[in-house]
Amino acid sequence: MDKNMKVLVVDDFSTMRRIVKNLLRDLGFTNIQEADDGSTAWPMLQGGDFDFVVTDWNMPGMQGIDLLKAIRADASLAHIPVLLVTAEAKKEQIVMAAQAGVNGYIVKPFTAATLKTKLDKIFERLG
Amino acid sequence: MNLDNGVHVSLEEAKQLVEYLESGQQDKADELIAKIQNPINSELFAEIGKLTRQLHDSLMNFQLDSRLTDLATADIPDAKERLNYVINRTEEAANKTMDAVESIFPVVDTIQSQIKTVKPLWKKLMSNDLDVNEFKELCKDIDVLLKTTENETKHMHGLMTDVLMAQDFQDLTGQVIRKVIDLVREVEDSLINMLTVFGISSDEAKEIAKPSVGENLVEGPIVNTEERDDVVTDQDDVDDLLSSLGF
Repeated sequence: MDKNMKVLVVDDFSTMRRIVKNLLRDLGFTNIQEADDGSTAWPMLQGGDFDFVVTDWNMPGMQGIDLLKAIRADASLAHIPVLLVTAEAKKEQIVMAAQAGVNGYIVKPFTAATLKTKLDKIFERLG
Repeated sequence: MNLDNGVHVSLEEAKQLVEYLESGQQDKADELIAKIQNPINSELFAEIGKLTRQLHDSLMNFQLDSRLTDLATADIPDAKERLNYVINRTEEAANKTMDAVESIFPVVDTIQSQIKTVKPLWKKLMSNDLDVNEFKELCKDIDVLLKTTENETKHMHGLMTDVLMAQDFQDLTGQVIRKVIDLVREVEDSLINMLTVFGISSDEAKEIAKPSVGENLVEGPIVNTEERDDVVTDQDDVDDLLSSLGF
């Protein structure tokens, strides 16, 4: 996995963005940008050649699931792996995310080890 | 009153009616009129009259219940402020903690890298395989490491005290949240009273009611996972579910 890849962290809580950024930095990722919801993330993604998106689900503007669907529906972005990190824990939602093409699903509260395992798995699969 | 509709009043009834009116028994007078007009419906009228009065009284009571007014105009806005305070204090605590931790990370990295520098020559020393020049070099490296460790552990100690002190939000927000829980309980009681007045049993309502869910099914953190079967309880559950879907 290329540690120089460009990562976008999307969460409406700045503290959660900070936690995720610190964990990613600890795993060696240095090129990290932030957005506070899907509608802020969307224009960044379109012009930003990002390689990976970590997003929350429940956000005030555009929600994470809608961001995921938008990414999958856009030919130039559809290849970007998306990891959902969310407190949403209904089975129905996990199925919905899987059907929308999510690459990983982490429920909050989560641990650094869980994040590492999921990242390894996602990039191992993508080759 | 239309007496042409086959309704007949007897002299006796008329006398009775006058008597009721003269003695101020309006209820009985109305009842008698109703009975004369339509003997079958009189009971129904009486019942509707009773219910109307009850409803009127109940509504008056609600208006008079100043506690309810206070709840709406003072306590609930106050609760909103309290909950905002909780958000602010917890955010502040999280940031204070992360400030400290983020400044500890590079310190630990520096110490680790200095240990790495010392290690090869140290190993040589331990196996009696060190010449004089190497020994001098090792002494310099160890000197640097000792100074760094001494200064930085002092610094880290201070930062860890900051982390410790940042946890004081738990006590303060706990007190505030407890007050809001009391308020919610009071509002709940008032609402249940209101439902009772309108003849809706709260047990009945409980069965139909489900927590409201936003668009995209969002609900936020599930606090009663053990009571529900439509949610996952931990990451293992998520992984199992995803792998059952072929993930």
